Amino acid sequence: MSVDPRRRVALIPPPPPIEAHPDSTKMELVGSNNTKPSTGAVADEGFKLRFCTVCASNQNRSMEAHLRLASANLPTISFGTGSLVRLPGPTIKEPNVYAFNGITYNAIHNELQAQNPQLYAANGLLPMLARNLTIKSYPERFQDWVPGKPRLDHNGDQGFHGTEAGVVDVIITCEERCFDAVLEDLHNKGGRLNRPVHVFNIDIKDNHEEASVGGGAILDLALRLNEAAAKEREIHGAAGWDGSGKSREGFDEKVPEILGEWQERWPNYPALWTLAWF
Amino acid sequence: MATNPLSTSTTTIAQLESARNLALGDARYYNQILLGILPLISGANIPVELQRWGADFIAEAFANPVLLPGDKQTMAIEPSKDAQNMTVIEALKGYLETSQDAAVVRSVVQAAASVYPLVFRHTIVNPSDTQNWQVMAAIKSNILRRMDSAPPGVRICCIKFVQRVIQVETPGLISDPRRPEQNEISLALVPRDHPLLQLPNLEAEASGLLDRLLDILQSDISDALLVTATLNSLGTLVRCRPVIANKIISAVLNFNPFKLANSPLTSKSKVMMKAMERTGRALLVNLMKREPGNPFNARIQQYVERMARLRIEVLDDTNRKRPAPSEPTDGFDPSKRPRLEAHGQVVGAPPPGPVSFADLYTLTHDAGAKSFDVQVIPIDTVVQIIVPMLMRIDKGKMDDAINTVRARLLTLSKLPPQPTASLSGPDDDDYEPDFAPREDAEQLSNKLANAPPEGLDVPPSTSLAPFKLPQAPPITEKELEDYGNSTIRRVFDTMNALSTPAKKTKPGFNRCAASSYDREAWMTIIARLATRAGIGLGDEEEDEVAYAGGPVKIKSEGKRVLKSGWKLNEAIREMLYQHIMADWRRRIDFATSWLSEEWYNDRISGDFFAAQTRKLNGNGNGSTAATTPQTPNYTKWVLKLLDSMLPYLESNDKGIIRFLSEIPAIDEQILTRVKRIAEDPERVGLTVNVLHYLILFRPPVREMCVGAVEDLWRNYDGAKTSTRKLLLKWRPEVLQEELVKAENAKVNGEALGVGGPVAAQDEMKA
Repeated sequence: MSVDPRRRVALIPPPPPIEAHPDSTKMELVGSNNTKPSTGAVADEGFKLRFCTVCASNQNRSMEAHLRLASANLPTISFGTGSLVRLPGPTIKEPNVYAFNGITYNAIHNELQAQNPQLYAANGLLPMLARNLTIKSYPERFQDWVPGKPRLDHNGDQGFHGTEAGVVDVIITCEERCFDAVLEDLHNKGGRLNRPVHVFNIDIKDNHEEASVGGGAILDLALRLNEAAAKEREIHGAAGWDGSGKSREGFDEKVPEILGEWQERWPNYPALWTLAWF
Repeated sequence: MATNPLSTSTTTIAQLESARNLALGDARYYNQILLGILPLISGANIPVELQRWGADFIAEAFANPVLLPGDKQTMAIEPSKDAQNMTVIEALKGYLETSQDAAVVRSVVQAAASVYPLVFRHTIVNPSDTQNWQVMAAIKSNILRRMDSAPPGVRICCIKFVQRVIQVETPGLISDPRRPEQNEISLALVPRDHPLLQLPNLEAEASGLLDRLLDILQSDISDALLVTATLNSLGTLVRCRPVIANKIISAVLNFNPFKLANSPLTSKSKVMMKAMERTGRALLVNLMKREPGNPFNARIQQYVERMARLRIEVLDDTNRKRPAPSEPTDGFDPSKRPRLEAHGQVVGAPPPGPVSFADLYTLTHDAGAKSFDVQVIPIDTVVQIIVPMLMRIDKGKMDDAINTVRARLLTLSKLPPQPTASLSGPDDDDYEPDFAPREDAEQLSNKLANAPPEGLDVPPSTSLAPFKLPQAPPITEKELEDYGNSTIRRVFDTMNALSTPAKKTKPGFNRCAASSYDREAWMTIIARLATRAGIGLGDEEEDEVAYAGGPVKIKSEGKRVLKSGWKLNEAIREMLYQHIMADWRRRIDFATSWLSEEWYNDRISGDFFAAQTRKLNGNGNGSTAATTPQTPNYTKWVLKLLDSMLPYLESNDKGIIRFLSEIPAIDEQILTRVKRIAEDPERVGLTVNVLHYLILFRPPVREMCVGAVEDLWRNYDGAKTSTRKLLLKWRPEVLQEELVKAENAKVNGEALGVGGPVAAQDEMKA
C-alpha cells in the first residue's frame, strides 16, 4: 500500500489521452504547434506560464504536482496554506508538526527516520520526504510569500527557471480550504502588484495515490493552459494581423472553457476557478 | 516571418535577460537598467518580442515589492540618458499609441496601474510639473477608452487600473499628517488650491469610474473573467476607502452570479457560475472577518447563505430542478415583496350549510388567526388593546367588514328557518358527549365578545353547527403491527437507558418484584408483559387449545384476529429472545427470570383453563389438563433459547451449566438438546459435566439425567470413558449388564472370529 509514489507510477492509470481539437477557424502558423501537450513536456524555448501549486502542508499533493509540472519543463513553485506543516505521527492524536519556512525536508526525513523507520517507511512518509528533498529544500507557507520578491535564492529548486521574479500566472490549489485561504490572503495582500493571476482549485484527497493521479490531472490542466497562452502569443504575434472572431480569443477568456473541458475529462476532481490579483 | 529581426531580437532578449537578473539580484539596479534599455525596448519600429519583453519588464519593475515607492517614483519620471530623453511614462504612452499587441498592452496597463499613484503623488508635491501629469492623463484616458472594447485579457487589467485610479482619487485616511511621505496616496493629500489636481473633478471622475466598475457586476452578460477580476479588486477599495465601502457592498449584495442559469448549462457556464459565486463569497467573507462589527454583516451572511442554496439548486447535478429565478435578487427579501392582500380583502360568503357564529364573523382566510384563542389574552390587556385599535382603525376597512357581516346575516335570514339551534344535535344517533356543544357555545360567546360591537344585537335565530369529531381512518393491520412493534421497542429502549446500579444489595425473599425503578425491575415488567398481560385477551381459544389439549372451539364473533398472525405477546417474546441472544452470557439472569415467569404463568393459566374446561364439561372428572400441567410457552422458548446458545458453547462453558440449573423446569426435550452437544467430540466433557451437575444438585430430574447419561454411554462412542464414572456411582447395573454382555460377546466372538464390540452391539439391537 505504501511504496514510494514514484515507483508506483506504473500502477496508476494514465490520464486519458488528450485528443487534438483541430479548429478550422484557426489559421495554422508555421511552427505554432511546437508545444503539444500530448508529449507531456513543454519545449525549452518559447513562452511558458508560471505555476504555483498549493496544498495544506506543502508535502504531498502540492509537491507531487510541483514535481510533475517541473518535469514537464514548466516554471513551478509550491506552497502550503496550513498554519504548520502537519505529518502523520505514531497515532492520529500525535501528528508530527513542524514550522514552515524553517525546517528542511532533509531534516524532517532524518528526524522521522530516527523516530521509527519501519512505521514511516510503511506509511510512505519517508519515501515522500525523500522525493520532496529532491524537488526543493523546505516547505514554504503561502501566507508568508511576498509575491514579486525575487526568488533567486531558490535556484536549486526544480522548476526554478522562469520563477526568478517571484510571480506566477497560475495558482493551483488542491483543496477548497486552501483555495479559500489563498483568496483570503490575496485580499489581505491587497493586489498591490496589479498583476492578474488565475487561481484554480482541484479537489484531491490527501493520500499518496490520489496525489499521484491528481498530479496527472493538474499537469493535464497546466499543459492545456500553457498551450492556449502560447498560442495567443503566436496569433497576436509578429504577424500583427488584426482579425476578429474566435481566433482572436486570448488566453484569459479561454480559461473557463479550458477548465470546463478539463472537468469533463476529470469528473472526479471538482474544480473551481477565479481571476485574482497579486 | 522574417528570420533576421527575430534572431537579432532573440540575442537582444538574451542580453536583456542578464540585465534583468542583475536587477532581480539587487533592486537598486532597476533605475539604471530601465533608463539604459528604454530606447531598446520602446518605439514603433521595435520588434514585438522586444516590446513585450520591455513592457513586461517595466510592469515587473514597478510591481517589485523590494523597491521603495520613492525610488519607483523617481524611476517613473526620470528622463533616459540618451538623445530622446524619454521617461518611462512616455514610453508607456508610446506603447499604448502604437502597439496592437494584446500582450504588450496588457503589461503596459499593469505598469500604468502601478505608476499612476506615483505620478499622482509627484504632481501633488510638484504642482508646476504639468508635463508629466499630462502624459499620465493621456495614458489614463487611453486606457479608459479601451476598457469596453479591448480583448478580455486586456480588459481585466483595465479594471484593475480603474480600481487604482478610484483608490487614488477618493479621500483616504491620513495616518500621520506630519509625514506626508508615509501616507497612503489618496485624494486626502491633495491641497485644495492645487492648480493641476482639482478636487471636485477628481472626485467626480472617481465616482464615475466606480459606477463603471460596479456596472460590470450588474450587466446582463456575465463574463466570469471580468466579474471575478472586478470582485477580487474591490476588496482593497472597501477596506481602505470607507467613503465608498457601503456603495460597493450594496452592489456586490445585489449581484447575481447565476444569471447564466437561464441559458443552457454547459461545462463552461458551470465553471463560470461557480467561479462568480465563490469569488463573491470569498470577498464578502473576507470583509466580514476584517470588520466583525460592520452593520452589513447580517445582510452579507444572508446573501452568502442564499447563494450557497442557489448554487446547489442550479449546479448540483444530482437534484437539479430548474434554473434560478431571473427576478432581481432583492425580490427574495420578504420585506420588499409586494403585498397582494394588503387592502380590500376578498372575503367571500361563509361556507354553505349550517353556519356557526364563528363562521359568521370570520373575516380572514388565515388559518393561524382563525385558530387563535383570544382567551389566552387577559381581559384587561384586551381592553387596553381594543380601544386604541378602534380609534386608529381604517374607516373604510371597518365599514367593509361590517357590510360583509351584514350581508351574511341578510342571506342567512332569508334562508328557510332551520330547526331551532338546540344544543344537542337534532337527529344524531351517533354518540355525542354532552359537553362538546356546550364548549362550542362557550367559544362562540367568546368570539362574540371580541367581535365588532354591532354584532351584539344579532337575533340568535341562526342555527349552530353541531360539532362532530371526524372519525379516525381505520388502522390497517400493517400499521397496527408497526405501532405495536414500535411500542415494544420503546419499552426496551427504556430498559436499555436505565443503568444497572453499581452495587447490588441482596434483598432476600422479602421484596416486591419491579418495585425499584432500575434495570432489573424493568426486566421483570417486560417479562410479565410478555407472559401475563395478554393472557385470555385476543387468542383465547388458542390458549385453551394449547393448555387443555384437544380441539376446543369457541365462536369468536366480532373479535379481531390479525390475519398476519401478529400477536403482541409473541412480539414481546421475540424481542426478549433477541435481546437475550445479543449478549446471552451476561443476560442469563434475565433469561432465567423470564423463563421462570413463563413457567409460572403457564402453570397458573393451565390451571385456570383446566378449571374452565371442567366447568364446561359439567363437573369434570379429572381432566388430563389438570393432572399433567403443560407449559407450552415455557417449553417453546426455553428450547428456542437453548438451540441458539448451543452453537456458541465452548468446551468448558460454565454458562450452560448455570442456565440449566436455574431454569424452573427440565424435561426430556431439553435433555435431548444437551445430549446433542456430545455429538461434537470436543464438547463431550461439557455434556457430561452438565448432567453431572444436574444429577448432584437437581434431585427432581436426577433420574432423567442418569437416563441421559446412560443413553450417552450406550450411543455416543466418544462418551464411554467420561460417563463410566457417573454410571458407576448412579447406575452401576448398566455397567454390570454391559460387562456381562461383553463377556458373552467375547465368548461368541472367539467362537465366530468376529470382533467383540460389533457383536455386542448386534445383541443390543436385538
